[in-house]
Amino acid sequence: MKRLLAHPWLTIRVQIALGAVFIIAALPKIADPPSFAHMIYNYRLVPSPLINISALVMPWVELLAGLALILSVWKAAARTVVAIMLAVFIVAISINLFRDNAIDCGCFNVADRGKTHEQRIFDMKVDVFRDFGMLLMVGQLWYAGKKEEDDV
Amino acid sequence: MNRKTILQTAALIAAGVILALVANAFAPRERKLAMAGSYPNALKVPARETAPTASILPTRVEQVPVVPTSTTASETSTTATQPTATAAITTVGLNPAAKTPAAPATTTVVPVPHPPSPTPPSEDRFLPHPDKPYVEITFGDVNTLHAKSVLFLDARRTSVYEQGHIAGARPYSVWESDIEDKVRKLFDERGDPSAQALPIVIYCSGGDCEDSHMLAQKLWGIQFNNIYVYKDGFPDWQQHGAPIHAGANP
Repeated sequence: MKRLLAHPWLTIRVQIALGAVFIIAALPKIADPPSFAHMIYNYRLVPSPLINISALVMPWVELLAGLALILSVWKAAARTVVAIMLAVFIVAISINLFRDNAIDCGCFNVADRGKTHEQRIFDMKVDVFRDFGMLLMVGQLWYAGKKEEDDV
Repeated sequence: MNRKTILQTAALIAAGVILALVANAFAPRERKLAMAGSYPNALKVPARETAPTASILPTRVEQVPVVPTSTTASETSTTATQPTATAAITTVGLNPAAKTPAAPATTTVVPVPHPPSPTPPSEDRFLPHPDKPYVEITFGDVNTLHAKSVLFLDARRTSVYEQGHIAGARPYSVWESDIEDKVRKLFDERGDPSAQALPIVIYCSGGDCEDSHMLAQKLWGIQFNNIYVYKDGFPDWQQHGAPIHAGANP
């Protein structure tokens, strides 16, 4: 099982899948920073002066981390960034689920989709599960990287 | 995590910051963001609306009769609590949080139930209300104000504004980088207190859209004291078949 988890065949596919997800997620945010700033504002967790700068920087960091994973460069740094971001997303969405503040997560689409409160809450739960799934994928990359270092 | 990974992580983030700044510098006006925005309710979770829009109680601003002896007192009190417009923009700037509501000397706000059949609102319904940033109104009042050629501001994104907006409305998206310039321009246009007491109607997309409220707070912060938020917004205007204009111009 351990050998299978650290197998390069799996690692490369997980890297590409995660990288692709992060690149796809970053593009609409890069294309429309004001809409993404609005999404961040909706979380009601980021202080006013940090909203715009977060909306500007976060998508580019996502894009670079995604590219690094796909191109297999700076793998450890990329998976660290991806893990931190996923953890932040999980915490942020969970806090809003707890507060019953229904929001669009702004993960892949920054346009207001006019959903109902219930639809948004359901989507937020799905988003948390999806992010946990991706965090597991990062765990696989971390395990494979550690195994690779140990073997060298 | 070893030193090399920490350095690479920092480099990745630094590269992201540089790319973000460069991209923002070259972004077109409607996609550019100011480095630090001003969003007064950034940490305040909005209360969930459970009642349907139709049952929202509108507020009515009533004129309280003032006897001649108290007129001077009320005027003095108003002057004392409300700095001049020029002083306000100097001391308060465009930050609505810096302004504290002053109790009105001559007006009171009385909630009244929504009338079952809409009646045309009377002239004195749209009096200044310096104690609160905005009063929410519905289609009937909005239509009346539109007929009087009152200033309309569209708080939605410019790209959405261009697809269709209330005829005569100006684009004032709170999320775009030029909002502070537009607000200053409006202040220059309507600098004196009598002009600031003229009604302004702000709208966005209705529902849980807060952009119009945010813009209203910005304007209230620089002494505009007769602002109305069209609660149901542009979709409601469209539903009523009221005049719409498409394109970049009002």
